[in-house]
This record gives sequence, C-alpha cells and structure tokens, in this order.
Amino acid sequence: MLRKVDQYRYLIPRSYKPGMRIEGMVYADEELIRQIEADQTMDQVANVATLPGLVGRSLAMPDAHQGYGFCIGGVAAADLDEGIVSAGGVGFDINCGVRLLASPVGIEDVRPKIEPLLNQLFRDIPCGTGRKGLLDISKVELDTVLRDGASWAVEHGYGHESDLARIEEYGRIRTADPSLVSPRAKERGHNQLGTLGSGNHFLEVEVVTEVYDEEVARQFGVCKDQVVILIHSGSRGLGHQVCTDYLEIMHDGMKKYGLSVVDRQLACVPITSREGDRYLKAMAAAANFAFANRQMMTHWVREAFQRVIGSSEVDVVYDVCHNIAKFEEHAVDGSKKMVLVHRKGATRAFPRNHPALPEELRSAGQPVLIPGSMGTASYILVGTELAMSETFGSSCHGAGRAMSRTQAKRETSADELLKQMKGKGIFVRGQSKAGLAEEKPDAYKDVNRVVDAVHGAGIARKVAKLVPVGVMKG
Amino acid sequence: MSKGERFTILEHPSDLGIEARGGTLATAFENAAAGMMSVILDTSTVVARETRPVEIYGSDREQMLVRWLSEVLYLYDGQRFAAAEFSLQELTPTHLRATIRGELLDAERHRTKVDVKAVTYHQLEVHDSGQRAFVRVFLDI
Repeated sequence: MLRKVDQYRYLIPRSYKPGMRIEGMVYADEELIRQIEADQTMDQVANVATLPGLVGRSLAMPDAHQGYGFCIGGVAAADLDEGIVSAGGVGFDINCGVRLLASPVGIEDVRPKIEPLLNQLFRDIPCGTGRKGLLDISKVELDTVLRDGASWAVEHGYGHESDLARIEEYGRIRTADPSLVSPRAKERGHNQLGTLGSGNHFLEVEVVTEVYDEEVARQFGVCKDQVVILIHSGSRGLGHQVCTDYLEIMHDGMKKYGLSVVDRQLACVPITSREGDRYLKAMAAAANFAFANRQMMTHWVREAFQRVIGSSEVDVVYDVCHNIAKFEEHAVDGSKKMVLVHRKGATRAFPRNHPALPEELRSAGQPVLIPGSMGTASYILVGTELAMSETFGSSCHGAGRAMSRTQAKRETSADELLKQMKGKGIFVRGQSKAGLAEEKPDAYKDVNRVVDAVHGAGIARKVAKLVPVGVMKG
Repeated sequence: MSKGERFTILEHPSDLGIEARGGTLATAFENAAAGMMSVILDTSTVVARETRPVEIYGSDREQMLVRWLSEVLYLYDGQRFAAAEFSLQELTPTHLRATIRGELLDAERHRTKVDVKAVTYHQLEVHDSGQRAFVRVFLDI
C-alpha cells in the first residue's frame, strides 16, 4: 500500500484508506519508516487526509510518531474558503517551541563552571509541575501579554528590542484576541508565565562540535566550540486549556456545519466559521504567551551567564514554533495562494529571501532548530526552497519518541541515568526523578538519523551540530 | 489490571493512558481521577482536608469523562488544589455531581512528578454492563 518514491519519501495513496481526499507523504529513511509503521502514525496521516478542504498532501516528517488525532510530526494545509481548522491539528501545547541562544564564550570557559552555571539557572528559572512563576501578574496585565507576546516581555525589561527580529512572527501574532481566551485558561496561565514546565521541556547548555556550512553558521552568529543554550518550552497551562476549550467548541460546531470525523480528536470547523475564527485568535493569544515565556527565560539565562561566566552578551539565534496554525502563502497547483498550515510537532523552514525573515537573515534563510533527546546531539539547520515547494515550508522538530514513558522508567532508573550522563560529561539538574527517567535518550529515535533524512530529502539543510554539557529538566 | 486494582497506567508512544474500573460507572470515574492525579504527584503525600463540590454537564458519557477529568486537572493547574479523594453523587450521560477532597499544593511537602497537559478523546472507552464498569482515557503529558 505504501509506495517508496525515493530514499527519503514514502507515498500513502488515496486507496490506503476509504475517505482519503488527498494523498499522504512520509519523509523517512528505511529504518525510520520501519519505526513509523510500528505504531498508528500512518493511519493518523491517512485520517488527516480525510478532512475537507486540504490542499497538497497530508505530511509526516522523519520524527513522526503516534499522537492524538494528528500524528506528532504532521503538517497539513487547508484552503481558506473550503478548508477546516482543527484545534487538535495544533495540539494542546500551543506554540511549544525552541529558542537557541548564542553565548560569547567557548567551551573551555564554561566546562569548569558548568555545575555552578546549571545550579544558577535552576535557581532562577522555575521548572517542574506545580511551580509558580516569579511574578504574579494581574488579569489585565495578562491580557497585554496575550496581545503583545515577546514585545511585552522586552518592554518590561526582559531582554532587548533586537531579540524580537530573531523570533518567528517577531514574537507576536497580531491577530491575537485575549478576550477569546477563557477565564479558566487565564487562571491556569497567570502564575505560570516564565516557567519551563515538565515532561519533555528542558533547557540545555551545549557546545557547537561541528559546522557543516561555515557561511550560513556565520550569518546565524554561530561558530565551532562556541557555547549555546537551547530552551524548549511552550504556552503552559494557558495553551493547554485553550486547546481543551476549543476542542469542545469544535466538537459541538461540527454538527452545526454537517462535518464528521473518523477520530473525535480531529474535531474541526470551517476556517470561515465564527468558531474557527475565534479559535485562531485565541490560539494566537496562547502562542504569544509562549513567546513571552521564552523571552523571559532568555533574560534569566543572560543574568545567570553574567553572574557565573562574567558576561551577559548572549544573543538570540532564533525561536521557532512547533505547534501552530499559520496563514501563509504557498504554491498550490502551480499558483500562489494563502492557506492555513497546521504544524503539529513540525518546524517552519523558510528559505533565503523569504519576506517573513528579518533583513539580517534574508541571505541565509531561516534557522531550523532540532533538539535531540536528553544527552544526545541537537542540530541547527536552514530552510530550503524545496521545503517551500513540497512541505509548505516545513521540516521536522526533534528526535521523536520511540518508547513509552512507562517502558522508559522500567528499563532505567533516574540514578542510573544520571550516572550515564555524568560518564558522558553532562551535568544534569532535574526537578523530578521519575520525569528524568521518562526522558532518557534511548526513549527517542536517533536524532542523527532524523536530521540526515531531512537533509537527504532536502527539506532543510544541516548547518551545525550541538552536543550538551549541561541539562536542566522539569 | 488485576482484580481489586482501581486503575492501571497504559503505554503510549508519547504519553500515557489510564484504565480504571469499578462496580459502577461512578466508581470507575472516581478511580480514573485517582489514576490521573497519581501521574501528577504522589497522592499519599496529600491530606484530604478540604472539600470542593463539582458539577458538570455534557452530551454523552465520553464527554462527561473528559470533562470530569479536565475539571480535576483545572483544579490542580488553575487553583493549585491537589485532589486525593473523589466521590460521585450523581452520574448520568448529561450530568455529574461530585465532591473532591484534597488540599492546596505545597511544593515543599507534596512529591510532584510531571504535568498533565490535557485529557484527550484518543481511543477513549466507556463501558458499563450494569455489574461492572470500565473506562480508558489517554492523557497528554
């Protein structure tokens, strides 16, 4: 049923499942496709293809694995007149994403101070479940955060104006409407602003060990042996509640619009509907919360570097969304048109000269940041023209889980894991031992293989490889 | 799940699920909530010193289960209320009334584990034979 197109492409024909309106395409090598076939990912890609008004293909990236409704690592674009928007197609952690910071120092300056640096970061950045943020903002102020995103943070002393150009959407989706975010979502979010979270969220101190493209790396502000910081976090309870709320609204809305779906988690409404419009404005508000959240953590990273390393000259390389729906212009059937691109565990990967990029990155292309699992490599890639023409300007977002949390905990205890990490020269600070064991590196796919598949398929190009020296987990 | 166990934690490639059972559907719902809270923290460290009443409306049993667990999750994440004991007074496909006992979260005393982001409809199951009830739900972590 599945047809191999080339070394990195597998086509899911419409005959794969009744009701598919478009084809599916999975980007993977032979080993990764074997892993992808082991769970329900393929079925989920096919289920997405049954939704009305999608254009192009239902896509899965090399790190794809089974999710809820949509697979994780899925991309689908909808026609603005005929198509649908699905809250599940964005996911619960709206604008869960990654930010990369470049420090002014090399590994030789940081290695001897890695323990005090991690301890400082652990003191300054709240993490783990149930931990409050350092500031308790009013409901009025929270609405400003939801409207202005990272700009709010910069205006309140968290970081620099120049950081904003280095964030997808400049750190603020302008269509956000805070009044469409429920009081419950705001209650979950107001004391979580400026917190890392738990689960797969982390902050890592890494060193650039390899540079594949010197010129692009230079334009990104990255060089060999440099110490960089990777932050993986999202919109916290606020975003989770926005998705929960609108899944219910969409579920009720489907009856009204005569829609039915094969999996309740795929609940969707027409983009042109009142419910769809309201969801997208609430989603944008939650996305802005996440941008502000990562901006605040950036400020605290600078303070920790100042205190422990003696310099706060830490620059933002880029900040990308992993879970988002965006209005973008793409070529569909030979002509350019606006579509709504759902990225569920996928990264935007725009090429050089794209107008969405700031002037300073125009000639290089958009940085695509791919975190590996705890203790393994991470990568910086750059977007390509091929991604633009084939995947709605999208690429993978990480290594992708290969093992359940319960299995991970059964196989390795947290203490064993800490010992293994120490043996690799990685210092780990974690809030929860159980949480640590669930995130052990081999619970994930091999990130090197995932990145090679993306590079090989041409939907992003390798720029540099990063290896962790310090890990902070919730 | 062996006989007598209130709930079991299920494998999922990215997240995890809970299977809960009981003599009645109400008991299975109570046990599912206990299962979800056991994912978030060590519930043996929570003292049931406060009571919160809960009332939920919905359109079917599946939605009631998702809304019930989402309510318990909201109390934890939005109001910092760590729930440990659950008692359903009424459960129909459209209405649920319950009391939840627990206490406000104390980061020093409660052993917390991991955030639950949300309750999903993925592979959701609700069965009630009249003598035995069983529910299955997956959580986004």
